[in-house]
Amino acid sequence: MQLEATNRTPAVSISATGIEMKGECYPEDITAFAEPVMEALRQQLESAESFHARIELYYFNSSSAKFLFDFFEELEEAAEEGKQIQIDWCYRADDSSMQEAGEDFEEDFEHAQYQIVEI
Amino acid sequence: MQSQDFHKLLEQRRTFFCYSGLLSEDVLSTFSGIVREQMSEMEDDAEITKRVFGIFVEQAQNVIRYSKDRIAEGGTGTVAISRAEDGFLIEAINPMDHENAEGLQKNLDELKAMDNKELRKAYKQRLREGPPEGSKGAGLGFIEMARKADHFEFDFVGSTELLFVFKVWIKETSS
Repeated sequence: MQLEATNRTPAVSISATGIEMKGECYPEDITAFAEPVMEALRQQLESAESFHARIELYYFNSSSAKFLFDFFEELEEAAEEGKQIQIDWCYRADDSSMQEAGEDFEEDFEHAQYQIVEI
Repeated sequence: MQSQDFHKLLEQRRTFFCYSGLLSEDVLSTFSGIVREQMSEMEDDAEITKRVFGIFVEQAQNVIRYSKDRIAEGGTGTVAISRAEDGFLIEAINPMDHENAEGLQKNLDELKAMDNKELRKAYKQRLREGPPEGSKGAGLGFIEMARKADHFEFDFVGSTELLFVFKVWIKETSS
């Protein structure tokens, strides 16, 4: 699955081995954006042994925070089932809001490997 | 009020962005670029620009989703951004139902009494539990604004037509 970035949605690329999400995230219609991404993620996770998520966002709104939470929950559940899950939350060096956002999600992971990465 | 007085009023209150009327997601898309451009021209600290923009989006989406006056894909209201003494003021005003006011007031009073740690906890709890009944989003907007704000105030004004006013200040000196 490949989604081009728009002004309000990130570029998304999902393959058998991982997902990359990069850009802005405050979609006009969060459901219309989130549902296909979650569906593609679930499909890939079913057959994957290991999966790598790289998230590089510059801004997301509160509706998207819920999407990200659900997205990470899916990955954490896969890790709990024994899959190798690696998540990199990437933020630009001077971007303290995205660094803090990354820290907000950190405590939800027990089984998945979650790293906050300065870029 | 004379047209020139309206112009002067905006100047006096140092309001550099003001929109009143139908707000929809399409309208918000159009404004996003403008607000970001205005902010980055005025403010060197990208983090402040980002916080002001984030508050603006949440404010606009509240009007879009919860204004009592509905048109097509949105609601009517006013959103404005002004220079404040030591930062920026982001305001939203929209008509609302009397019956929803009490619940909202209680919710906002609770948020106002919370410190940063408690707000973070409330935010995480809301994420886990999902949106409350009647929410058209994640139910996180006000918590998110309370976390980002240096200060916020709200008011319910008018008896026949009730207006909800929400004001958020972002200071330039804060981290």
